[in-house]
Amino acid sequence: MMVNMSLATCLGNSSRALKVSDFPPAMVLSHRLLVVYPWTQRFFDNFGNLSSTSAIMGNPKVKAHGKKVLTSFGDAIKNMDNLKGAFAKLSELHCDKLHVDPENFRLLGNVLVIILASHFGKEFTPDMQAMWQKLVAGVATALAHKYH
Amino acid sequence: MLSAQERAHVAQVWDLIAGHEAAFGAELLLRLFTVYPSTKTYFKHLGVCPDEAQLLTHGQRVLEAVGVAVQHTDHLRAALSPLADLHAQVLRVDPANFPQLIQCFHVMLASHLQGEFTVQMQAAWDKFLTEVAVVLTEKYR
Repeated sequence: MMVNMSLATCLGNSSRALKVSDFPPAMVLSHRLLVVYPWTQRFFDNFGNLSSTSAIMGNPKVKAHGKKVLTSFGDAIKNMDNLKGAFAKLSELHCDKLHVDPENFRLLGNVLVIILASHFGKEFTPDMQAMWQKLVAGVATALAHKYH
Repeated sequence: MLSAQERAHVAQVWDLIAGHEAAFGAELLLRLFTVYPSTKTYFKHLGVCPDEAQLLTHGQRVLEAVGVAVQHTDHLRAALSPLADLHAQVLRVDPANFPQLIQCFHVMLASHLQGEFTVQMQAAWDKFLTEVAVVLTEKYR
């Protein structure tokens, strides 16, 4: 992905504005994925109770997964020049151990953008949406890169 | 098929939009064209950089059609049949574009409703808009 300085700055600003560890979207990212696209639950058999929306929303392993993913996105922003390199190990993990269809990376990326829109409200302009969609698309591609 | 609860969520969100179809439609199209520039290929008549008036006019048309769908969630095929014919015979928008429009719709709803755009609402709207997209592309072949 070509690095665009204003993209890097804007993304850096909007992500620095919130500490990842207590960033509200981190709390709900994976919940949203599992509730809106229930078939994604197939990858989380060992997460315990996912039997209902409230079970999913209260599940601590699901919350932890969301925080892990958001931290990864923070790393992505610091490595936009070389997303494929930065995500090589994670890509191998998702292919060889987790067996996750890369389509799910696109779904999760889209859910993240929606959650950010809800967090930032009117500030989440079309241009800001475009920048974040570009980032999540880059991450999804990087995560799929080592699939074989 | 939408459950009663899902239909209620759809109607609840539509209350926000009803009466403001032009403004929401314009924002929807602006997001679509900004985030997914290739979608502009279906709107050649609006030019490379559609102006506000064009976005409002066309946006209103799109959102009014969504409004028709909201009123007829139980019989989408019948209600959207003329639009399905139009998409199959004239517009021929590649089906891959509909998820992009749907994504922009969700982002727009989320930015306006913020915390009120609950996960249940998102799930209901995603199901609803996906059904609309299926109906609109069903007659393609």
